[in-house]
Amino acid sequence: MKKLFKILKLILATLLTGYSIVVIYMLLFSSPEKRYSFAANMQGSELSQKMFEILKFKDPENDRIYFEQSVPFNKRGYYEEGFMLLDKAVTLDPKMHLGYRGYMKLRFLRNFKGALADFDRLDSLTPGVIDTPWGEDIDFLRGESYYGLGDYQKASKHFKKSIENQGEDWADIQSFVYIGICEYEMGNLEAAINYYKKALEQSKYSVEAHLGLAKIYSEDGKKELAKSHLEKAEKYFNYKRNDPYSEYLNEIYKSDLAQVKTLNKST
Amino acid sequence: MKSKTNIFLLISFLVAIILTGWLNYQAKNRIGDLSENKEQDHDFQVCNEDRITQYYGMDTDFEGGKRAIKNKIFPELEELNYKGSGLITFRFIVNCEGEIGRFRHKATDLDMEEMAISPANIEKIEGALLKLKNWNPASNDYNTYDSYYVLNFKIRNDKLVDIF
Repeated sequence: MKKLFKILKLILATLLTGYSIVVIYMLLFSSPEKRYSFAANMQGSELSQKMFEILKFKDPENDRIYFEQSVPFNKRGYYEEGFMLLDKAVTLDPKMHLGYRGYMKLRFLRNFKGALADFDRLDSLTPGVIDTPWGEDIDFLRGESYYGLGDYQKASKHFKKSIENQGEDWADIQSFVYIGICEYEMGNLEAAINYYKKALEQSKYSVEAHLGLAKIYSEDGKKELAKSHLEKAEKYFNYKRNDPYSEYLNEIYKSDLAQVKTLNKST
Repeated sequence: MKSKTNIFLLISFLVAIILTGWLNYQAKNRIGDLSENKEQDHDFQVCNEDRITQYYGMDTDFEGGKRAIKNKIFPELEELNYKGSGLITFRFIVNCEGEIGRFRHKATDLDMEEMAISPANIEKIEGALLKLKNWNPASNDYNTYDSYYVLNFKIRNDKLVDIF
């Protein structure tokens, strides 16, 4: 009986030791790619951050680790920590990370000048290449940055360049919408109408374009046209441009529709 | 020999327990988790301390969106003097009943370095936030949940210029 207990104790101790060895191996010695994927999949947890720290200890010049480690900090509003990591990634591989940092400065910080500096630097590092930071055309993002600065002329120029870069059929529909807004802001109502209509040629669900047209027609006293576009804006409202992380600069709300509706009734 | 077996078992058990506890702690704790501070948070309660989701996971928002927040609180905060340029970022909880609390903030300048904000201004921002009553808590088809929310106050040349 004593021998049996001893054997059981040894089996248990061996299993526990084996478990510990496996855990330590996974944390410290398994393939860096597997550990990187594990840490990325556990995004936001302290375990993920610890894994990134271990990976950095062994490979301090790996820009991907700093980039991926920065993501949850920035998503959760800890920009000092997030940008410290992102800046390091940019230092290690500017071509790879400048675009994303510019995108973050634009969409998460609304630091338009900082975003433009990053986009321009990226562009200068990649002659002959149309960059697509975080999947979006660089001129579209420049246009949005200038729009944020209130420089509608430069914004419109870059949105037009973005359409040229991508080709009219492949361009972001919001390029047409933004040009419409910029032209409206500059008082070029005919041009604004044309671009809103181009957006609607791409998709009849463009709520932003319907609202833009409704506003112009309403101000011009063309009540029926305004009403028709307002009705479509209401009908397709669920297709509006939105993002779970941050509010777009040209994001529209029900209150915008209500405002134009009131305007249309009073004119 | 007998004692060696016991020592082997004890050590292997302790190492396994410590490792498991550490792993569990690291996996459970997340960046941005806000722990309760009675003195700071007064009587604000969350519905489930163990399940507070992120704002982007379950559509937590204020009725009318960030535009409505800005329209409501910008006028009373724009006259304050903030010293410098940067971003004040508030992180707080919208509980499952649509009440907000547990406010924490961080501020960074344009170089992404920590920026000092006067406690009086922070108090005024919190006061303005507390006046917002139409929160839509995180929800799915079955229930409503506690969640974190992030709101940025953009400062340029000592003045508040945007809330998003």
